[in-house]
Amino acid sequence: MSVKILALGFGLVILFSVLELIRKEKLTFKYALGWLVIGIVAIFSSIFETVIFKTASFLGFKLPSNFIFFSLLSVFILFSLLLTVFLCQQNNRNDLMAQKIGILELEIEKLKRKINKE
Amino acid sequence: MAQKILIIVPAYNEESNIGKTIDDIMASGQTATILVVNDCSKDQTAQKVLEKSVMLISLPYNLGIGGAVQTGFRYADDNHYDVAVQIDGDYQHDAAYLKDLLRPLCDDKVDMTIGSRFLPPFSSYQSSFLRRFGITFFARLISFLIKEHITDPTSGYRAFNKKLIKIFAKYYPHDFPEPEAILIAKRYKARIKEIPVQMRERLGGQSSIRYLKTFYYMVKVTLAIVLDKLKERKEL
Repeated sequence: MSVKILALGFGLVILFSVLELIRKEKLTFKYALGWLVIGIVAIFSSIFETVIFKTASFLGFKLPSNFIFFSLLSVFILFSLLLTVFLCQQNNRNDLMAQKIGILELEIEKLKRKINKE
Repeated sequence: MAQKILIIVPAYNEESNIGKTIDDIMASGQTATILVVNDCSKDQTAQKVLEKSVMLISLPYNLGIGGAVQTGFRYADDNHYDVAVQIDGDYQHDAAYLKDLLRPLCDDKVDMTIGSRFLPPFSSYQSSFLRRFGITFFARLISFLIKEHITDPTSGYRAFNKKLIKIFAKYYPHDFPEPEAILIAKRYKARIKEIPVQMRERLGGQSSIRYLKTFYYMVKVTLAIVLDKLKERKEL
């Protein structure tokens, strides 16, 4: 029983942390969505643990805990792959911005020189 | 019609070489605009460039040689240049060969020329065993993949026409870009020609490829080259 309370508590902590972060505008909805789903799934499965047991035995896991570990790992691996994609996107945008800033500075310098000549 | 030529000189911590490089290009008598891209050097590179009457772009932070060269491509594309040449800021590339590099491009015989150290009459380039091994390895791998003979895939002494400027302005690999760029150009069915050149030994400064980095360089470039084959082929 205490495990159930622990799991439920953890799920609630995740859900409320995410909600609080959205409220304070530290998380945008695009990135918060995955975490909201994780929080809700955690709460749902701590209340209805029989769903986990049934799914685990249906999929052929000998122990429900193996099923839980497997699901968690899969979700986090996918999550980190997604995060890497976002990171690369940000990196490309940063580099583009650096290049544009460099080019713009040169253009400003050229204009300044032109004005000084006139 | 006269072609608008931009010479892109990427430079990172090259205070002792950049001045000579610029003088060398100017002395070659080639009419072209010179653009130095200072990749956020920590030394006096920018000040040395400002003493000369050439254009200078200073990047706000270090992007790596590919990012610096790509800045040049973007500038060339924005300002409608017909040809872009890359000459590294370390005084290794001899501007005397600029005309040889540019001629096939200006005659529209090819889309890209590469200055090669390993073509007759000059094939006596001296270098460390490890570097020679790396160059030969990539030369064989790339020649095999593009079914064309390439002798000096790591040479940064190159010239590109308008079509390739447009392509590389959009996408250019950021670290160790030279071998991969050949594959990208080929993917767009570019015509590539190698031109025999001689290069000088490095004097001051540091090569961007040092011993500790060599292994990473080999793995990264090999993977990048092979993975490039998976990308979609396009028309120029």
